[in-house]
Amino acid sequence: MKKRKTVFIEGPIKPSFIANSIEKHQIKTSIGAHDIFLGQVRADEIEGNIVQAIEYSAYKDMAEEKFHEIREATFSKYDLTCMHIYHSLGKVKAGEICLFVFVSAPHRRVAFEALEFLVEEIKKDVPVFGKEIFEDETHVWKVNN
Amino acid sequence: MELKVLYFGMIAEITNCQEEMIFLEQGSNVDQLENLLKDKYRKLQDLSFKIAIDKEIKSNIVLLNTKNEIALLPPFSGG
Repeated sequence: MKKRKTVFIEGPIKPSFIANSIEKHQIKTSIGAHDIFLGQVRADEIEGNIVQAIEYSAYKDMAEEKFHEIREATFSKYDLTCMHIYHSLGKVKAGEICLFVFVSAPHRRVAFEALEFLVEEIKKDVPVFGKEIFEDETHVWKVNN
Repeated sequence: MELKVLYFGMIAEITNCQEEMIFLEQGSNVDQLENLLKDKYRKLQDLSFKIAIDKEIKSNIVLLNTKNEIALLPPFSGG
């Protein structure tokens, strides 16, 4: 059985991690186009309070299964060379990266379309829950649109 | 029958625990479980949530058994 890669990373996704990931693809010379989505925590103002951080939790077993299903669906729909998904768990401060989706293909159009499909599916189907934390330690629960 | 129910996000905040055992009559379905939980935790009545059975969102008429992994999921907010 193919070993499943884990998607979750504790804390924010560091820009250096993203740079390393790009560098690792330089040996794959059939690739002609990469596309990357980075989700960043926004300092939203909610009823006078500013979001300082989001604390992510997940129904991990189901989330890993959903990520796997979404990966398979994307590979069968689009002619991609490779695909990587990383999502934060735990606390991610405003301005830090919480989602990193990276697709590579021989040509650009496929990469553009596959990336949009992937990000929308992740937002819709993966049981991840974000708690928006304010300066005074109170919080609200985020809901995806 | 005794069923293990998992809670996540804002739902775990309402129930004040991350999992518990719930007693239901043999042959009960998802709908009956939902009603019982809404009675037990009144705040669930104002909330939109989904119930996953063995990691899949199922229709409310699906029958439950003690081997099921049941989870109450509030709206998703990944990414």
